Amino acid sequence: MATSARGGGEGEAAAGGGGGGGAAAEMEVEAYRRLFPVAYFERHLRESVRLDARPLASPRDTSVALGLVGSADGSALVKFGDTTMVAAIKLEVMTPPAESSDEGSVAVEFYMPPICSPTVRPGRSAEVAPVISKQLSDVIMSSGMINLKDLCLINGKASWIAYLDIYCLNADGSLFDAALVSTVAAFTHLEIPLVSVSDDGRVVTVPGELEGKTKLPLVNKDKRKLMLNNVPFSLTCGLHKEHILVDPTAEEESIIETFVTVVLDTLGRVVSVYKPGGSVLAYTSILKECITLAKRRAQQLRNILNESVSAMEVDKSS
Amino acid sequence: MRAMGMDRLDGRNANQMRPLTCSRNLLHRAHGSARWSQGDTIVLAAVYGPKAGTRKGDDPEKASIEVIWKPKTGQIGKQEKEYEMILKRTLQSICLLTSHPNTTTSVIVQVVGDDGSLLPCAINASCAALVDAGIPLKHLAVAICCGLSETGSVILDPTKVEEQKMQAFMHLVFPNSPLAVLPEGSSSKHDEPFEHGIITSVTHGAMPERGYFNCLDRGRAASAAISEFLRRSLQKDGS
Amino acid sequence: MATTPMTYSPSQGAERRQKQQQMRRMSQELDWKRSDGRSFHQCRPACLQTGATNAASGSAYAEFGATKVIVSVFGPRESKKAMMYSDIGRLNCNVSFTTFATPIRGQGSDNKEYSAMLHKALEGAVILESFPKTTVDVFALVLESGGGDLPVIISCASLALADAGIMMYDLVSSVSVSCFGKNIVIDPTAEEEACQDGSLMIACMPARNEVTQLTLTGQWSTAKTNEAMELCMDACSKLASIMRSCLKKSANLSS
Repeated sequence: MATSARGGGEGEAAAGGGGGGGAAAEMEVEAYRRLFPVAYFERHLRESVRLDARPLASPRDTSVALGLVGSADGSALVKFGDTTMVAAIKLEVMTPPAESSDEGSVAVEFYMPPICSPTVRPGRSAEVAPVISKQLSDVIMSSGMINLKDLCLINGKASWIAYLDIYCLNADGSLFDAALVSTVAAFTHLEIPLVSVSDDGRVVTVPGELEGKTKLPLVNKDKRKLMLNNVPFSLTCGLHKEHILVDPTAEEESIIETFVTVVLDTLGRVVSVYKPGGSVLAYTSILKECITLAKRRAQQLRNILNESVSAMEVDKSS
Repeated sequence: MRAMGMDRLDGRNANQMRPLTCSRNLLHRAHGSARWSQGDTIVLAAVYGPKAGTRKGDDPEKASIEVIWKPKTGQIGKQEKEYEMILKRTLQSICLLTSHPNTTTSVIVQVVGDDGSLLPCAINASCAALVDAGIPLKHLAVAICCGLSETGSVILDPTKVEEQKMQAFMHLVFPNSPLAVLPEGSSSKHDEPFEHGIITSVTHGAMPERGYFNCLDRGRAASAAISEFLRRSLQKDGS
Repeated sequence: MATTPMTYSPSQGAERRQKQQQMRRMSQELDWKRSDGRSFHQCRPACLQTGATNAASGSAYAEFGATKVIVSVFGPRESKKAMMYSDIGRLNCNVSFTTFATPIRGQGSDNKEYSAMLHKALEGAVILESFPKTTVDVFALVLESGGGDLPVIISCASLALADAGIMMYDLVSSVSVSCFGKNIVIDPTAEEEACQDGSLMIACMPARNEVTQLTLTGQWSTAKTNEAMELCMDACSKLASIMRSCLKKSANLSS
């Protein structure tokens, strides 16, 4: 929804002329921001500050809360500033295909319901939603975060399919990064229900109180948590002229044209370097800097996630 | 598998691309068209426009580019949507969008054959089709696919079978070296020349950081050859 | 992952049916305990909050027991191009559910019926003349469906409209009751709704004592209808005062 600047010069003149003070000046600034977003943005950059007063290399406040969706087997709510994601995992049983009889599977879907942004209308899904779904499932698979063999129940007969559904409740930029953190957090929270096989060969859950009482054989007594290896975390950097801005907001995304998303896993491997076009060319030095920034961010996200896990455990024990 | 100069299934060496062909102006109703092939990967691109008006939500002060991806068979899924978006953003970055404000240029990409390196092939085809349609461009773009094996060796332009065997593979797009007009923000600021900057990078599979930069170097070197091929082929048709 | 195989949830089936039958049997008796320990005429604790999403002009989040709903209001903004000129504004409502809202994974699609009902419930309260030619969009997303979904959506939507500064005659609050044999149970859970004999839902503007919507299903005697309506109206005015204090709180915070 970018309205491009019609030449910075006149815009600045307009803002300068309206410095009378008080509410009128406030109005002028707001009008200037709307009418000449690029000039307004660049004037901030000249002072090395962003529209929301962040320094260029600072991500927004990030919070993770686990287990908010009661009807799911694993869930998480993630906030990057105002960007909000809810991820929930529901486990269902499937017959694994013959070529991977000892593996389960993960089905990822990213949704942008109309509540998340003024640009999304009901009936027509947002253009980026399927692209983010695809990227998420690529990253989950190529990082090897989940060993699909852990999702096997009975070799050749039954395995879990984890339906991971991520809803964007508020779209304020860096959607992929927030969605990936919510994905990791939901898998961290995932509790696999205890199941047994009924007489007709179907897999059924065993409620907690019946454990030990049921005659049916328990299938997954010691496979109730998913081990996560090589957890991936990502960082999106916006490139504007010679500046690198991490974790851009929606307003910044409408002005900046070039983005680099770097995904790194726990081993420090590069899972993805994603730069779809854009007017700024990424030279090796810029890419190296983005990777360095992503490393720092990955460490930070790992700490935030660990804190949320211990916070949940405290909740449970009290 | 031999470490040095390992031969590939089709007898190429690691640094060798499949034979390239490019022909333009094949479709009569389109304003521009091109067929690009790299071995058995073949893509036909058609360009219509610029047509009046942009879609709601697009900036009317700039030209808008619309990409429609037609797979060889079947319906379009998430993969094709992703290709459409990457292609659209890549083409937007090479077009002079301000010269035709409030217009839409449609690029229709028809996959004729897919034997690996599909996205780079489509980008090369679209770029040639844009030239054929006479859409003003800042510079050309050349795309290449690099594969990285477990041992860290790099191969160029992998086939579908090779893509699956690789630890990781990536699609890279570079600008071709400018001959006449120096674009804005060019080499002076950076130690590296203009054509070393990356327009697009899309990777699949986890890899060590060093492996990624190795691929960049190899891709860059190969892009000069494709760039040369593209330029020659455009000049030949033009005369 | 291209083709999704046939899958099923392990928790559905015999166990749940059994539970439901038990619940049914129990509810036929005169005196029984509700699963969450409430008395028959006691509503679930309501948690309301405005400004849940900042991308919208106004928004609200409501949590009634297990039912969780987010409503965003956009506009007044330009109507769709295809729309004819109109002296009064348009109200456009859409309700959708998440795939994980229900115990069995759903499709997460729009709910046309609820969208239409929400529109009808709010239409009478919004002063459409105050935004001619333009459209106000009310979008609701049910994060979790734990019973009494529609009344929660309606109340939450009117709160979001107020948060967006859309002119209304009054807040709309809505409450439903279920009928079990001789008993009337207010604000039922999903479990209770599944085996109710009948239901009654009222959406009203309590300050004006006007009903904007009333739906009734199942068999009701006149006396019981009256009793249920009074129960609902009473609960609605209490809910409205909670909503009002929620708005006041957010107004104080912002000033």
